[in-house]
Amino acid sequence: MPDRIRLKAFGMLAEKIGADSLEIENPGSSETLRRLLLEQFPALQPLTFRMAVDRKLIQAETDISAGQEIALLPPFSGG
Amino acid sequence: MEKVRSPKNIFVQGPILAEKIAQSIANHATKTDIGGHSIFLGQIRADEKPEGKVIAIEYTCYEEMALEKAFEIREDIFAKYPLTCMHIYHSLGEIKVGEICLFVFTSSKHRKAAMQACDELVERIKAELPIWGKEILDSSATQWKVNT
Repeated sequence: MPDRIRLKAFGMLAEKIGADSLEIENPGSSETLRRLLLEQFPALQPLTFRMAVDRKLIQAETDISAGQEIALLPPFSGG
Repeated sequence: MEKVRSPKNIFVQGPILAEKIAQSIANHATKTDIGGHSIFLGQIRADEKPEGKVIAIEYTCYEEMALEKAFEIREDIFAKYPLTCMHIYHSLGEIKVGEICLFVFTSSKHRKAAMQACDELVERIKAELPIWGKEILDSSATQWKVNT
């Protein structure tokens, strides 16, 4: 199985990236992923966002393994 | 017998209609151990922004995560308060000003548990569920809602 991950983007982040889902090579960790995203999509730089790995919000740098679902989450505004 | 609960869908496409709320209240008439209900209804407000007036909010969500999280919140609130029932509905799609986008309904033997649980549920829904609102303005501009 190739070392790839599925990335989902929501809300304002999907707008800035121009897609709500991407498949990319696994960067190995959440912080490396964040750095790569900010490089590739400079429009994300002023934005605040959190990440979820397999639908769980992560609080600190987290290892990412192939096949995991990573989500980029802008501040929630339900209700 | 211990009731086993599983995640259920909280999302409604479009606004939550008054008829649905009335029906939901009526459905509890047979549960005669209930002494108090508490209901919160979130309504789309016509906020004035520098770029125009809000005419609708379009809601999107990360559904799988939102349903898992909503289930976790339900379990926490059931463990914390002596509730008989709890219902949560949140709209998706475009909801116009004056329409209802959130319906939270708790029932208990006595009022205080129902009222406190309802309040805590609303706070947790707004803070913890991956849902996003995009405000549509009368100038046809849009901007992302920020929860205060």
